[in-house]
Order: sequence, then structure tokens, then C-alpha cells
Amino acid sequence: MAKAKAKAASAKQGGGSLMWLQGLACGGLAALVPGIALQVGILLLPAIVALMLDRERGKPVARAVLLCTLAASVEPMRALWNSAQGGDLGFSLVADLHAVTLTWGAAAGGWLLTQVIPVAVGMVLNTTADKRSAELREARARLIAEWGLGNPADQ
Amino acid sequence: MARSPETEAPTDPSARQYDIDAAHPLPYGGGGLPTFAARDRGNGQGGLMALQVARDAPARGMVLRDLTNAKIENLAIPLAHQTAAAPGASAYYVICPAPPGRPLSMLTRPWSEAVIIGQVLRPIAQILVELEQRRITHRAIRPNNVFESQTNLPVTLGAAWAAPPAMHQSEIFEPPYSAMCHPSGRGDGQIADDVYALGVLLIVLATGRVPLASLDPVAAIRRKLELGSFAALTAEEKLPPIISDLVRNMLAEDPEHRPPPTLLLDPFAARGRRVAARPPRRAQRPLQIGSTTVWDARTLAFAIGTQPEAGFQSMRTGDTMQWLRRTLGDATLAVRIEELLRHRATEGRSDDTRADAATVMRAVVLIDPLAPLCWRGTVVWPDAMGAAMAMGLVTEPPLLEHMEELIILEMIPNWAMLRPDRCDFTGLRIESRRHRSLLQTRGPGGGLPRLIYSLNPLLPCLSPLTRDRWVASLADMVPALEAAVGADPSGAEPLDPHIVAFIAVRSERRLDSEVNGLNGRADEAEWLIARLRLLAQLQLRYNSRPLPRLAGWFAAKAGPLVALWNNRPRRADVASAINTLAAAGHLTPMLALIEDPAGRSADAQGAKTAAQDLTTIEAELASITDGGPHRTAQAARIGQEAAAVIGLAALAAMMTLAAIG
Repeated sequence: MAKAKAKAASAKQGGGSLMWLQGLACGGLAALVPGIALQVGILLLPAIVALMLDRERGKPVARAVLLCTLAASVEPMRALWNSAQGGDLGFSLVADLHAVTLTWGAAAGGWLLTQVIPVAVGMVLNTTADKRSAELREARARLIAEWGLGNPADQ
Repeated sequence: MARSPETEAPTDPSARQYDIDAAHPLPYGGGGLPTFAARDRGNGQGGLMALQVARDAPARGMVLRDLTNAKIENLAIPLAHQTAAAPGASAYYVICPAPPGRPLSMLTRPWSEAVIIGQVLRPIAQILVELEQRRITHRAIRPNNVFESQTNLPVTLGAAWAAPPAMHQSEIFEPPYSAMCHPSGRGDGQIADDVYALGVLLIVLATGRVPLASLDPVAAIRRKLELGSFAALTAEEKLPPIISDLVRNMLAEDPEHRPPPTLLLDPFAARGRRVAARPPRRAQRPLQIGSTTVWDARTLAFAIGTQPEAGFQSMRTGDTMQWLRRTLGDATLAVRIEELLRHRATEGRSDDTRADAATVMRAVVLIDPLAPLCWRGTVVWPDAMGAAMAMGLVTEPPLLEHMEELIILEMIPNWAMLRPDRCDFTGLRIESRRHRSLLQTRGPGGGLPRLIYSLNPLLPCLSPLTRDRWVASLADMVPALEAAVGADPSGAEPLDPHIVAFIAVRSERRLDSEVNGLNGRADEAEWLIARLRLLAQLQLRYNSRPLPRLAGWFAAKAGPLVALWNNRPRRADVASAINTLAAAGHLTPMLALIEDPAGRSADAQGAKTAAQDLTTIEAELASITDGGPHRTAQAARIGQEAAAVIGLAALAAMMTLAAIG
């Protein structure tokens, strides 16, 4: 019991350290390259929100949202990088609604994928199961008819 | 002339070659039995007679077997025995040559001594010699069964084969110890009994009338016991001297004292034979036993044996012993009976009627060692058990009950043990145990019917199902069963205990396994198969003609047989095949179809596999029915993984595009 408590405390402490390290990295980034930091923050805002809201193990929804957001952010980020990393540019990009809309749209697409694909897969699985069930019922009826099994009155 | 119906199978290959004219009776030919004219179908020879056998009085099977077509002059030798049509139902007949003339009972004048000796005594003595050599007795020598021939020719002795021995003899012509028996219980006896009857016949011929004819049977027997047979039968008559001397010996009470038939061939030597037989001792005062007034020991035994309750009461009160000791002067006999009663007192409860009957039986033997077996008022000789039981079964249930008791309690060896010098005790004991064993055989083929058919080789099957036919053999049984089933195939079972016992006995162990297979079949299908197996063997071995009615009965009851198969299409095939085979009337293919061990084994294996398959299917269906949440979770997991893969692919593609430029 004590060991478990100690282990949980240790894990909590490790997670907290990682959080602090991430915060420190973000703070450093904002201090050194505030334009890029601001742009990344704005573009990845849906993913950050998704990471905060997704409580499932492995954060499957946040993961898909993050990957789609990152894919949509590649082009704006490359443009920013090629433009000498100026703070003004960063703010101008923020004002580029097209890039934000595209990135956030990708985030929404990622979320939508996590909602639609399971439904589609579920439909496929259920259809397969229903078909198998029908086959089995037919086989059972055939056996009962041929051997009189399962119905004592016929025996 | 009526012919034997062609639908009846022959009892044996040599039989059924005679036509019997039921419309032409011969009233004087059969010595009292119904007799009809007969003709040899093969050579057209007439001059034959057919003696009709009564259903409750079977013909003498062993005698017919040993004597048929034998060569004995002046005797109605049996030529054949067979079933044939009769008014109302088929009947059984013994075929013999018709008598050459009138029976001696129709003659009214006395015969001369020379004629009696030359035409009656010597010829009949010669016949008895021949019979004795074959260990056969006649037991039907009486005026209406002896027939005159042409002048100066020997008389002809009639048939005695179509009824139990001495059954139709009047009490006058039988020794008193045979006359007191039930008519069916007189047994084969010994040749000395024929000598006795011949002696009475000589008296009748010499005097021209039947002695004691005015007395009722019981009075005639009592007269013989009290006076001795010779004195009783000749008291008022004067006989020729040679006849008188001969008859005196021939009518001796003890069979061992009568002259053998060989001696009678020389009457002059026979008349010189003297036997020292003491006359019965007569008491000063009588003893009353029931309705009988007793003057001597023989009559006492007769009274006690025929009125057992009164006799036992007289012994129990001591009246009998007192009379024996003080009046008859036989203290030794009185002491022996007292010992018997003391033994009875220690033998069982006072109300045990069987013990009382056994005591009476033993007392009769002690008082008169020549007396037959007396049981509860029924008097029989042990060699007549078969005929007595047959008659008891058909017409006299109390007689049958008494015979059954005698066998169950092994009273015959008990009786024989008390008179070992006058009977074969060991043989009787072995036979009695065999009878008891048969009687106690369980199952439909055992018990009383089996014993009765075993004891009477020519007794027809007495089942109610074969009532209107004379079923004398298994060849007769098959068509009788076919007829018994009738037109309604859903009727009663065609086998009953009588039929099964008859088959068991007449098949001489050839169908033992099939008969034993009928025992203890609780399952309906097994019950039917056992019966089908027996009847199929019967048809196969004894009568191969089609039996569509019997087969139809099985087809109508075939539901449980078809249900032996698990496979439904196979059931339908089997049911159809059974109906087809039933229409053809052959039982063996039906049995083969139903038993079919290879097919039944494959069917059972198939059913087992099907059951396993069904279990597997049920389990899979249950897992599908219960698997909804699992599939939902699985779909969510797959969808999320797919979304991640799509996102990752898009990221990789965009980065590649960015790198390219």
C-alpha cells in the first residue's frame, strides 16, 4: 500500500517535472522567438485544446486532431521560417485568416475522422456478424430438421 | 367327399393324403369316439376310418409315433394322423382301417368257450404281446371297441390312439385302481391293465351281458374293492371252467399277479397258474367316511382319497385308527397313521390345507399301496399328468389347479417314495423336477402352457387367437397367426403366452433364442423387434408363404421401429420400405431393414456429430448475440487508429512537399 502510494507520488512528480519542462520550453521559445511562438500557439490551438479535453487513454481524438493540425501547419511554418523569423511577420501571419482557417479546418477534419470512421467500421462489423448469424441459424434449422435435434417432440 | 383345405400346411410329409368324409359318420367304428369314413387320396383305397380327436383330450402322440404303419394283425393300426376340415372348424383325425364287422357290444348271445378262446383270447393276447414288445399299452379293450370278423376268424381290436389312455373305458373294464381315477388321469398304465380288461371282456362274452351294469360307477368300484374284482364281476354268473380259471387270474387286484400276455397264448397253461391272493379282510362293524360306509382297508383308502376332508377329519379325531385297531385288527397300520398325523402336527400351521392334503395322500398309500395318487379328491396316476392337465386347461380348471399343486410341491416323488417297489422312484423324481422347472420358467414362453404342451406332443395350440383352427404343428401355426390378425392391421398382438409356449415346445429348441428374446422387453421398439424376429424365423423355417396381414400388423405398429433411426430422411425411407415389404408379406427382409447394424451405427454416429455441430452453432450464435458492445469498442478502436494513420500520412505528405520545395 505504502509502496503503491510512493509509486503514484513518484509518477505524479515525474509528470509534473515534464509539465514544468514543457512550460519552460514554451516560455523560452516565447521569449527568444515570440513571432514563431505566437504563430505555433495560434495554429495549434485546437490540438492543444483537444489534448486538454481528451481524457481517454492514449488520447486517440487529440492525437488525430494534432496530426491533422500539424499537417496543415507545415506550409505556414515553412513560410514563416523562410521569412527571417521576424516578429512582425509572425503577427502578420496571425492576421492571415486563410492559414488559420485551413489549420483549424484540418483540426476539425481530424476530429471528424475519429467520429465517423468508428461508426463506419461498426456498421461493417455488425453487417458481417448478422450475415454469419443468418448462416448459422440456417445451419441449425437444417440440423434440427435432418436429425430432430433440439426438439424433443420430434424424436 | 370333403377334402382337406389346401390352405393348411401338412403336419408331416406323410400326412394329408387321406380324404375324410365328415358327412359319412361310422357310429360304431371308433369305440365311442366320433368316427368318419376316410379314403386314401393316393390309391383311392377305401375301407378306412378317421377318429376325431377332442380338443381337450389329445391323441397319444408317443404311441402314434411308434405304432403308425406297424404290422400287427387284428389291430386297428394307425395309418396317419392329420388335420382336416370339420363343420365349424378344422379338426384332428387319426386314420385307421375301418373295422371288418359289428362291435361285440351289439351281440346279445353268450359265446362258447372254444370260440372265446380261439377267436378272442388268443388273438388279443397275441396283439398284447406285440404291443408289450413295443412298450405300448392298448387301454381300450371293451365290447364296443372289439369287432367281429367273418365266421371262425379272430376278432379285430379297435383303435385306442385318438384319446388319452383308458379315457373312454367304463369302470367295469378297468381295474378299480384305474377306474377310480379321473377319466383323463388313468395313464398308459401297464399291459396287465389290458389283461384285466380282456378278462372282463371274456366274462361279457361268456355270459352274454355286462356285469355290474346296473350300478353307478362309484358303487361298481366299491363292489370291486370290497369283494375283489373276480368275485364282484362273477358273483351271480356261472362261467365255463376254463374261462373261470383264466379270468380269476386276469382280474387279480395286484397287476403283478395277472398273467402276462405270452402266457395267455396258451390258455390251458395259464389256467393252471395259481396266485395266492388274500381276500380283503372285512371288519365286524363299518366306519363312516363322508358318504361312504367302509368295511375294509381298500375301501377306506378309496373313501379317504376321494373325500379328503371327511377322511382327514376321521383320522384327526382318531376314529379311523380306532376302527383299524379294534375292528379291523390292523394295529400296525393304525400306528403308522398315528405317526403320520404326529408328523403333520409338527409340519406346519393347523390351517395349512396343503399339509392336510399331503397327509391324506400319504395315508392312502399307507392303507392301500396299490392305490393311485390322491390329491384333494382328484385321483390320477403320475403318467397321466399330461392328459389331465390338458383336460384341466380346457374344461376343468380345478383339475388343472390340483395338477399344478402336485408339481410345484413335488408330491409325485413323495408319493413314489412311499411305494418304491411299485414304481420307478428315481425316474419319477427326475421327471417331476423337470416338470417343476418348466412350470417355474419365467416369461411368455414358460410356465403352465409350456409344461402342458411339453407333456402333450399332439395337443393343439389352445390360444383364443387360434380357436377356430386345429394348430397341431408350427407349419399350421403360421397361417393360423396370419388368419388371427384379421383384416384390421391395428388389432391385438398376434402372440400370446399360449402361442409362444407352443412355439417354444414344438420347435424343439431351434427357436429358443428367439423365444427367450421376448423376455423383459420394456422398450416398445425392442418388444416389437423381438416378436418380429420370432415370427420371421417361424416363417423362414416352417412356412415360407407370404404373410401380408402379419407383416401389415408390424407395419401398422412400426412407429417405434422407425423412430430407432435418428436421421429424419432415413426414417421416411425406412417407413416407406417397411410398407413396401409388408405388402409383399415377407418378415425377414423387414427385420433386416429394421435391425441393419451397419446403418444403425452410422446413423448413431451421424446423430452424435450433428449434436456436436449444433452445440457449436448455438455457442457461436450466442457469442454473436452477446457481442454488440465488443464490436462497438472494436469499431471505435479501429476508427481511431485509422484516423491517426490518416493524420500521420497527411503530415508525412505535407512535410515531404515542404522539403521538396
